[in-house]
Amino acid sequence: MRKFTLFIAFLMFLGMQVFAQEKTINGTVTGKDDGAAIPGVQIIVKGTTIGTTTDMQGKYRLTVPSNAQVLVFRFVGMKTLEVAIGAQTVINAELESEVMSIEGVVVTALGISREKKSLGYATQQVSGDDVNRVKGDNFINSLSGKVSGVQVKANGNMGGSTNVVIRGASSITGNNQALFVVDGVPLNNDNTNNTGQLTGRNGYDYGNAAADINPNDIESINVLKGAAATALYGSRAANGVVIITTKKGTKQAPGKKALGVNFSSNITTGMYDKSTFPKYQQNYGAGYGASFYSGEAGMEGFEYYADIDGDGVTDFNVPTYEDASMGQKFDPNIMVYQYDAFYPESPNYMKKTPWVAGADGPAYLLQNTWAYTNSIDITGGGENSTFRLSYTNFDQTGLMPNSSLKRNSFLFNGSQNLTKDLTVSASANYISTEGKGRNSTGYSDNIMSSFRQWMQMNVDYKQQHDLFFASDKNITWNPVAYDNLAPAYWDNPYWVRYKNYETDKRDRIIGYLQADWKATDYLTFMGRWSIDTYTELQEERKAIGSGAGEFGVGRPDVTSGYSRFDRTFTETNFDFMARFYKNIAKDLNLTAVLGTNIRRNHIDQVFASTDGGLIVPYLYSLGNSVNPNRAPEERYNKVGVNGVYGSVSFGYKDFLFLDGTIRRDQSSTLPEDNNTYIYPAVSGSFIFSNLLESSAIQLGKLRLGYAQVGNDAPWGSIKDVYTQNTSFSGTALFSLPNTKNNSDLKPERTNSMEAGLEMQFLNKRLGFDLAFYKENIVDQIMPVAVSFATGYSGKYVNAGEMENKGVELMVYGTPVMSKDFRWDITLNWAQNKNTVVSLAEGVENLQLAALQGGVTINARKGEPYGTIQGTDYLYDSVSGKRIVLANGYYARTTTSDKILGNVNPDWTGGLLNKFTYKNWAFSFLVDVQQGGSIFSLDLYYGMATGLYEETDFINDNGVPVRDPIRYVNDDPEQGYAANSGGLILDGVLADGTVNTRRVAGDDYRVFGYSRNPNSRFVYDASYVKLREVVLTYSLPKTLLDKTFIRGASLSLVGSNLWIISKELPHADPEASQSSGNFQGWQSGVMPTTRNIGFTLNLNF
Amino acid sequence: MKKLALFLIILIGVTVSCTKDFEDYNTDTKRATEVPGNFVFANAIKALGDQEASTNVNLNVWKLFAQYWTETTYTDESNYDIVNRNIASLLFRTYYRDILSDLKEARRLIESEVVAGEAATVAKENRLHIITIVENYCYHSLVDMFGDIPYSEALDIDNISPKYDDAFEVYKSLLTSTKTATDALNAAHGSFDEGDLYLHGDVAMWKKFGNTFIVRMAINLADVDNALAKSYIEGAYAGGFEFGEDVHLAYPGGTNSNPLFQDLVQSGRNDFVPANTIVDIMNNLNDPRRDDYFEINGDAYTGGLYGYSNPFSQFSHIADEIQEETYPMVIMDYTELAFYLAEAAARGYSVGGSAEDHYKNGIKSSILHWGGTEQDFNDYYAQAAVTYAAGSWKEKIGTQAWLAYYVRGFVGYTSWRRLDFPTLNIPEAPETPDGQVPKRFTYPINEQTLNAANYTAAAAAIGGDEMNTKLFWDKN
Repeated sequence: MRKFTLFIAFLMFLGMQVFAQEKTINGTVTGKDDGAAIPGVQIIVKGTTIGTTTDMQGKYRLTVPSNAQVLVFRFVGMKTLEVAIGAQTVINAELESEVMSIEGVVVTALGISREKKSLGYATQQVSGDDVNRVKGDNFINSLSGKVSGVQVKANGNMGGSTNVVIRGASSITGNNQALFVVDGVPLNNDNTNNTGQLTGRNGYDYGNAAADINPNDIESINVLKGAAATALYGSRAANGVVIITTKKGTKQAPGKKALGVNFSSNITTGMYDKSTFPKYQQNYGAGYGASFYSGEAGMEGFEYYADIDGDGVTDFNVPTYEDASMGQKFDPNIMVYQYDAFYPESPNYMKKTPWVAGADGPAYLLQNTWAYTNSIDITGGGENSTFRLSYTNFDQTGLMPNSSLKRNSFLFNGSQNLTKDLTVSASANYISTEGKGRNSTGYSDNIMSSFRQWMQMNVDYKQQHDLFFASDKNITWNPVAYDNLAPAYWDNPYWVRYKNYETDKRDRIIGYLQADWKATDYLTFMGRWSIDTYTELQEERKAIGSGAGEFGVGRPDVTSGYSRFDRTFTETNFDFMARFYKNIAKDLNLTAVLGTNIRRNHIDQVFASTDGGLIVPYLYSLGNSVNPNRAPEERYNKVGVNGVYGSVSFGYKDFLFLDGTIRRDQSSTLPEDNNTYIYPAVSGSFIFSNLLESSAIQLGKLRLGYAQVGNDAPWGSIKDVYTQNTSFSGTALFSLPNTKNNSDLKPERTNSMEAGLEMQFLNKRLGFDLAFYKENIVDQIMPVAVSFATGYSGKYVNAGEMENKGVELMVYGTPVMSKDFRWDITLNWAQNKNTVVSLAEGVENLQLAALQGGVTINARKGEPYGTIQGTDYLYDSVSGKRIVLANGYYARTTTSDKILGNVNPDWTGGLLNKFTYKNWAFSFLVDVQQGGSIFSLDLYYGMATGLYEETDFINDNGVPVRDPIRYVNDDPEQGYAANSGGLILDGVLADGTVNTRRVAGDDYRVFGYSRNPNSRFVYDASYVKLREVVLTYSLPKTLLDKTFIRGASLSLVGSNLWIISKELPHADPEASQSSGNFQGWQSGVMPTTRNIGFTLNLNF
Repeated sequence: MKKLALFLIILIGVTVSCTKDFEDYNTDTKRATEVPGNFVFANAIKALGDQEASTNVNLNVWKLFAQYWTETTYTDESNYDIVNRNIASLLFRTYYRDILSDLKEARRLIESEVVAGEAATVAKENRLHIITIVENYCYHSLVDMFGDIPYSEALDIDNISPKYDDAFEVYKSLLTSTKTATDALNAAHGSFDEGDLYLHGDVAMWKKFGNTFIVRMAINLADVDNALAKSYIEGAYAGGFEFGEDVHLAYPGGTNSNPLFQDLVQSGRNDFVPANTIVDIMNNLNDPRRDDYFEINGDAYTGGLYGYSNPFSQFSHIADEIQEETYPMVIMDYTELAFYLAEAAARGYSVGGSAEDHYKNGIKSSILHWGGTEQDFNDYYAQAAVTYAAGSWKEKIGTQAWLAYYVRGFVGYTSWRRLDFPTLNIPEAPETPDGQVPKRFTYPINEQTLNAANYTAAAAAIGGDEMNTKLFWDKN
């Protein structure tokens, strides 16, 4: 099997050869079974990209270099055939139906290569090319829509974290992200964003660590979805595994050596998608409505309390303090003091200016993104050795000014046969990632939350730009008052981008040493030591002169500061495995595996910051602190898991396969006397098409699997420790922790079942793979929320059960296949139904996160994981209409525990179409999410502050809604005047009569958070996106024949080009603050970037 | 097969030998597993001081409810919207989890200390009594916020559904226990050598605190059980604070600044201005404390209209002194005691002086505390509107006590609930069912979901979990 793997790998790679002379070969390709000609067979010169396809008569003609050795004939559903060229010029080929090795070989748990047909569980493969076409900061985004049952959610932050959940969330409070394994090395995928950032306070999204993987090094990806597939990995793989196999060098025939060089260069540019950015009203500026200020008739929206220019007369000025646009209607004839009149550095100092909308709105700040990806790799091999060396440089700038992400990745891997039976291999991957000026996320101190929630439409952002660059000062549109220029809530956005930027750096080494010993024909041993280690530094800055905001340890409000987060992570794995393979009887073979895995994880991190501000401007060091530093947050974890596992596989006549595995883990995170757990898995596959012998069905396979997986506790959940707070005048302060640990924890368990059906028809031009699964996770280890009256907020328990039930379907087909043209379709579709079956006894609801706006994300008994809860409207029991209070506003529930939605989609799907015509290839991917909900804090506040176009319309009287409420003869007793502003909310009073009361439209209460329930701002998160469009032109060989270039292609790649449909206005429903369990809530999210890139690939 | 056997041996050997250090792996080397109880006590009373001082709208809205301050732009809390920010939950969190739980732990740790000699033994007993007094102080605050509360079954992690106890029964228990602890305090020896951030181990002062606290609790019972109130007050008043004395948390500034500094200055926000309710009353009375309470706005003191939008720049601001990082947070003081005693005397209790005597002492003590002079007091008191009048003792004492409790929102709000003076304003859009000033806090939403049966029983027992349900002692 190993040989077969190598062979497949061999085909993918290019050995360097020198082409001096050429000859032409022709022939006909027929099917062995029926002798009929086969059109569309691919023929290539082995080790090169030189090739052609057969025409409708099955004939071909190919010019090959004189030193070409072997022709390879490939066709879907047929066994690949290799023919030595020798002196022949006519080579006819007969292709055999590929019944015996129908689906090829895939890499399964622990790096064991298996024939796919023998697997009793679902796996789905994606080629390296598929994730390497779109060049972005996180290759994981390229998996979206390509694998059924894998939900990929990119959040729009530059270098941001991507949420990858396979077959739904399984852990109530733990990690639900898929495990990434590269060449057998489990890769850390931690998201180090702190809790404040995750729950929507301010902060930056530092991404997820698996983004370090260089897509250019990926040969193939195999996704193991269910517990049966991942059981051998143990508990950590409970969320599914993404197995990545990197490209390798290939062995050559005796006496031969080969060297290949591949070069790829890409330039990608992106611009923001307007449908994911606010559409603003353009008629009203700063303020909170006419009633708010003491202005006189016609000037109600302005402040009127000070003599600004000193002429003895009170002047009108713009209420610069208010970060809302519910104010005075624009009128170019009104001259008024605006913020720019108060700064001596401003050209408009002490000048009144016309009251108009800012000529350049917030979008002025956004820049087109640019990303450059350059890769080079050298692969080689001889009789006894192989190697590959690659280097990739990625350099990106984001939508926000002064932002960049740079990544350098070096990978070397190689293998050497020391003796005939002993092979050693090693790999070393060094990745350095440097970020600068990542966009802020969350509610406060985030430019995008200003743009979406708190802003004045009178502000001209080009002017903000010019004032900052002319003065190098924080000249903000939002000073407290004309005589107090401290920023009220918001800084000049350019000040934020150029002074308060973060920087981060991660240096990482991933590597392994491996020895494979073929002891006998039927027994092999493998030993591997692997390591994944990195150091990470995240530095955040707030320059003196900034507005106050939460910052640093303990998140106090400060006006300047510096914080650093240092983290060292190391994971080592030692694997030792014996494999036994033998035909134990006629038609019956046995494969057995026995192995051990010793894992050690080590995290050492410190978060420290200045306190109370900085002393020396622009000096960012912990020592430069006004107050002594607060006690830094330190964490030092060690986790050890020792596993022993075994598996046996029987194969009978190549159509009946049975697998059994068992694993025993011992984990340091569990109580010492109960830290061992054993879990079994069984699966089988039955290839019934082998018995049918029907020509209509090329493959029919049934599979069935059952698995149990145990899981340990989070580190530090057994013993109680005290929390230390910053000392008070020399007195130490210690406190009991908020969550009570539990010294009686036992392992949690997952029971899962799956069944599947795979079929192929029409000479394999149509196939599908259907999977059903049900997974129950019981005895969940979780800090369940308890009444505060217990003295704690939570308590670790083994309780609760979560269930995932789902269907996954992949359909693929080739509707058209001719000599020059081919059309392939792949459809992925998945539906997962999650249910929180039970929580701890007596617990009906577990709050996962309490987020701004009063909404919570919860696990609620009987509901799917991730219910969004908050306040709702009250409805009249008779008419079903919303109840309106006597004051004209909607009545709301008094409690915030109403279910308003759920973060889980009803289904997800992807449709990929590929067209190839001669040297042209074109493909596009449509990615769909149906259902799921999202709460928009952006609209919750932004509708109140009157930013959005929906807050400015013509009312039922035909006048602007923001016009004042007018009465007949100015007498409320006589009723509303025909030209009254305001609006009548649709609903009924408590007594059932229709509401006729008008409420003001120029008041922050009516549209936003203040008088509307949370449910008003919960939206359907469905979308249909044109995710990926690729057009590739491969240069014809005839053009390259005379050069040293062996292959060249040019691609035009578009990603996220078009959101075909969505329900959420003004933003992308996928956008969020971070990956993790707190989804379904948006605040100040980035707009989505539409990318177009151009790639040149060269092979030498 | 030999190879396989060898392999098995290695495999077993490796996995067994590798688990020896597992115990160490699970030990948190960055956090303490054993600490002195004094430091846990210190943490609790620091948290209590912070809670009382804070004006964070998530934690402490009493300065708004008492109508000392009002909000500028975002007027939700001044309109009694406490649901949006889950304020009740955060109060439960602060009192039970952050204060009472640590006090209980401090007690456990101190009880387990082995001490030798009379001085150390008495000091240990004193520390435990002080803990009892502070615990009772917290439960009393909780009762006065909510009514019935988890008490007898509280603070037991093995019982995650603690029942709610009848508020009056809790009061009685608190009075008994506080009296026992206060009487048992032995000033001949010390208590905390460190950890007592309020009084640095001064047992005599803690005794006065205990007695003053008994008076504070008992006075609330005057309308519901006059005899009980009378007996406790008459038994305790003489041991309470003397003129000029108080218990406060002196913030050193810097990292440990008064939360008001964090909320008002460090936040860079201008969310609060003094409310017209207090400013107007003080203007009418020519109150000498105005310049200590507020900053003048031009040539006058102007308060924001309570519960309406108030542009920050157009009103008087909170006095700069109050916004300093070292501004001390008074927990309880003589001024408070004097007003309670004035009220007690007016109710006919024998408290060593007339209602007027105590009333005058209260006002004088407050004026001097805020930096005024005897002359200021004399001039102020000479006004008819201030001078004591037995016929309107509730109004006089209610108004002056309320004025004196400025910044200490919860004390002021409670005083208003008992005496119903001064007349508070109605905000623009009150979220209370009756549109009036709330009489209590509604229970946390967490309790509805996590402790439902007990919550429901408590809500029924107090007459409905609404903001307009009066507390058991709030009879008038």
